[in-house]
Amino acid sequence: MSVQNSIKILIIDDEEIVLESCTAILRGEGYDLATASDGTRGLALLQEIRPDIVVVDLKMPGLSGFDVLERIREADPTMVTLVMTGYATVQSAVEAMKRGAYDFLPKPFTPDEFRLIVRRSVEKRTLVLETIALRRERELLREHFASIVSHELKAPLAAVQQNLFVLERELAPAATEDQRGRLARIKVRIGDLLQLIETWRRGVSVDIEAIKARRAAVPVSLPIGKAVESLADAAARKEIDLTASVPEPAPVVWGDQGTLTETLVNLIGNAVKYSRVGGRIAVSAEADDAEVRIAVADNGVGIAPEDMPLVFDAFYSGRPGAAGERGSGLGLAISRRVIEAHGGSIAVQSTPGKGSTFVITLPLHRDDGPDGPRPGA
Amino acid sequence: MTESKQLLIVDDDPDFVAGIKAILDGAGYATDVAHNPKDGFAALRSKRYDLLLLDIMMGRGAEGVMMARKIRKEPALRDLPVLIITGIKEQIAFMFPGQAVHPRFMPVDELLEKPVEPELLLEKVRALLAAAGTRQPEVR
Repeated sequence: MSVQNSIKILIIDDEEIVLESCTAILRGEGYDLATASDGTRGLALLQEIRPDIVVVDLKMPGLSGFDVLERIREADPTMVTLVMTGYATVQSAVEAMKRGAYDFLPKPFTPDEFRLIVRRSVEKRTLVLETIALRRERELLREHFASIVSHELKAPLAAVQQNLFVLERELAPAATEDQRGRLARIKVRIGDLLQLIETWRRGVSVDIEAIKARRAAVPVSLPIGKAVESLADAAARKEIDLTASVPEPAPVVWGDQGTLTETLVNLIGNAVKYSRVGGRIAVSAEADDAEVRIAVADNGVGIAPEDMPLVFDAFYSGRPGAAGERGSGLGLAISRRVIEAHGGSIAVQSTPGKGSTFVITLPLHRDDGPDGPRPGA
Repeated sequence: MTESKQLLIVDDDPDFVAGIKAILDGAGYATDVAHNPKDGFAALRSKRYDLLLLDIMMGRGAEGVMMARKIRKEPALRDLPVLIITGIKEQIAFMFPGQAVHPRFMPVDELLEKPVEPELLLEKVRALLAAAGTRQPEVR
């Protein structure tokens, strides 16, 4: 263990002989050792050197070992504490554990016993520190995921794609059919990758409170229209008949148009992905006096019964689509979170080989007289 | 018709800049490039531009936002049309939590996401230049 990383151990005991023998036992083990002859001095030293492990005698004049444990737990609960006492009783051991002690060492103890218990405490401390570091890393990653992803992953791809756009324009007049096809393939694959990164990023950062804050009266024809429009090209490429039917006047929901559109894009996109060439996708809306149901029905490959319970789980991706396409495994998980943030639900029915129907159910928005719009559930 | 229009791109990614500069140059615009807000300002003060294409995430953070705000505070630059081209649209919402995805967080005129299709880029640039032209005809 390197010097700057060496484990710091503070031993607090009122008996000089105990301090001396303990330090003698641990000398040569590579620890950084400090001692204090009573609780008050021990706590002062604790603030100064921030030890990893504190060994404390339970029975001391002045501040007792229990008090010291209590203060350590308040100051830094990640410090690993060991208690030792000549009056070893089950009760005092339990009491010490209750106050956060990691282990208990009855006096007298042999050097080997002491070395062993200290080593175990060091392992414990290392684990605690690693856990803290990992947790912090996870939080940071979550917080900064959007910017990390945009810069580290998206930016280089965007630069590549941008230059590809230019190359395609510049080469178009002279390029052969084959060359144009290759450029188109590269463009599509990079586009897919950009889309995938975007989906992952969104999966991590779906902000339910933000969705709720953005809600307004939205006729379902708006998100349906936009979603269908944005997938028209993709559907046309597979010669899929993509249609939408919404009653007039369109049912109105209390929702966030952006994320509702995104959810529909996701469902229709899946339908395109899992449809065969020449397939059919029908998007429809119907309402009763309480709810709106938006259905996306395809006659594609369908979902195997054993996969059905998993389709809305994060990072679950079904079998490859009709042309070998695979999803990110996040789209439906995000969709469900979005719809649930709207007080709605999302369900699926499917027959393998025949197709799937996803149904979003949202509370109908009612305009209740003079008080104006009433937010739904 | 467009050949005399002076455009400035401020973006710290030289490869991305090469991609949009080629499109703009190809359409007959005169395009200058700065790779950070400081050089961008120096360019804006040295010469009259018709349009600024601005990246958001530069340097240590959202330096593009700071640049757009500073531009709006300078009387000489206040009317310069600004087209934001950003990696992620919601980056802006991300930096200003609690606001809508496309907030009017600063007076920019248009926002595009990277990568941007050549036709879309040219269309937005044309529209912004045309709008600026009708806004202050006496200057031109």
